[in-house]
Amino acid sequence: MSRLWLVLAALCFAWYATVTGYVAVRGAIDIRRMLARLSKREER
Amino acid sequence: MSHFDWAVDGSIVGLYLLATIVAGLAVRRHVRRVDDFLVAGREVDIHLGIASLAATEFGIVTCVYTAQAGYRHGFAGATPGLLQAVAMLVVGLTGFCVGPLRAAGVTTIPELLEKRFGRRVRSAAGLVIVLGGLLNMGLFLRIGGEFLVVVTGLDPGLLEITMTALLLVVLAYTVLGGMLSVLVTDWLQFVVMSAGILAVTGLVFFRVGWDALVQAVSTHHGAGGFDPLSNAEMGWSYLLFQTCLQVAATLTWQPVIARLLSARDARTGRAIFVRTSFFFACRFILPGLWGIAALATLAPGAFAHLPPELAGDPSKIAMPVFLSGFLPVGMMGLLVAAMLAADMSTDSSYMLTWGSVVYNDLLAPFRRQAWSERRGLLWNRAIVAAIGVFLLFFGLWYPLRGDLWTYFGVTGTIYLSSMSVLLVACCYWKRANSLGAFAAIACGALPAILYLVLEQLRETRDFARAIGPYWSGLASYAAAALAMVVGSLARRA
Repeated sequence: MSRLWLVLAALCFAWYATVTGYVAVRGAIDIRRMLARLSKREER
Repeated sequence: MSHFDWAVDGSIVGLYLLATIVAGLAVRRHVRRVDDFLVAGREVDIHLGIASLAATEFGIVTCVYTAQAGYRHGFAGATPGLLQAVAMLVVGLTGFCVGPLRAAGVTTIPELLEKRFGRRVRSAAGLVIVLGGLLNMGLFLRIGGEFLVVVTGLDPGLLEITMTALLLVVLAYTVLGGMLSVLVTDWLQFVVMSAGILAVTGLVFFRVGWDALVQAVSTHHGAGGFDPLSNAEMGWSYLLFQTCLQVAATLTWQPVIARLLSARDARTGRAIFVRTSFFFACRFILPGLWGIAALATLAPGAFAHLPPELAGDPSKIAMPVFLSGFLPVGMMGLLVAAMLAADMSTDSSYMLTWGSVVYNDLLAPFRRQAWSERRGLLWNRAIVAAIGVFLLFFGLWYPLRGDLWTYFGVTGTIYLSSMSVLLVACCYWKRANSLGAFAAIACGALPAILYLVLEQLRETRDFARAIGPYWSGLASYAAAALAMVVGSLARRA
């Protein structure tokens, strides 16, 4: 059973590290786009 | 003795706090309407949604109760995380309930329920959601404060002042910028929090070692430390209750649903659920390892230097005590910044979320004649500020008995039991009606509230413990479902 938990823990670490890097970059782009859309709407 | 260095680590924390305040306040000028304040104009894309959902659902309190679960139950303590990951994945892939919910274009779940069950059900649903949500959130500040006191070696007498200062910072940007500020700070907080969690977990793997963790669990918990069904404190009632709880939380936990409702469309909302699902396993497993590392490394006298109010429950305080002596200077600053990030994102999101239900659903009868955007914004800001004041006082006097995760499970069940039944019936059962809805709300809340009251009274405490939180929680879910069916069919007959 401890092997199952080792696999899960390693999977969590690898997945979380990957998602953190990806979301750090793409999330910033999302924020910029969201604020741009809101600014456009305010202008209208 | 804590390794926290006020010059090095304090600077890292200060820098993070400054960045958060600047980011949170910078976007407040975009808030012109109530919709901007509550759901960010429904302009949230997938990656920002992932960051926000993950940051919201991980606070210091999450870290403390998942580490506590690791300390008390070993690896088996991570079971709720695995169940919620599966629930999020399945709900996101199938769109079960969340598809119709987002497509309806509502701001809260009670607003959707009104379309099917009428205004009174909306108000009643809003009331149990706010009651369950605020009770659930009431302990966040104290737990967060205790963690910071132990990790940094701060004077325990300064706990209340630290909590108040932290809350004031969070209130400042949440009151002014609403969901927009929450989203932007959530993203920053997600990055800082994740960096800290990964760095600490890596160090635990590297310096404590996997074999030592497995050995500690084997020695202290035996087979029950690896398998929840072999654990004397868990078993089938625990597993069934957690399954109900996680499915219900995925469908109706308002801070989670707020991300779905802020998404650009139903497809984006479902994608946020699918891609964040595995995070819910991570949030239990990774800090759970910290709790197990505390079990493996702390000597019996490790809590002796703490004041009695902190040392009362070693399982709750073991992880921060372990980290305070385990992490080197520099890493301590990263950890404290990460935990502050986690806590602030959760506090801001939760205050805004419960505030949105108060405004949108409880005040709905007073808004029959449409309010101006200006007036609506003013009320929303006042409600969020009032929730902040409530948190400060409730967090100071409520005496917690038993473990944290159970407290959160039971208080959440007050509304999760009935709201999940109402939402499923609203979306998929044509015969469901308002009598069934009222009956489900009352019958779902009763067992959980009764359990909390009985547990607090000295005369009935033993009786409450004999029933246990899992059976009382399961009774809530069963009673809500049964009441919905019986109530709906009774009116029809």
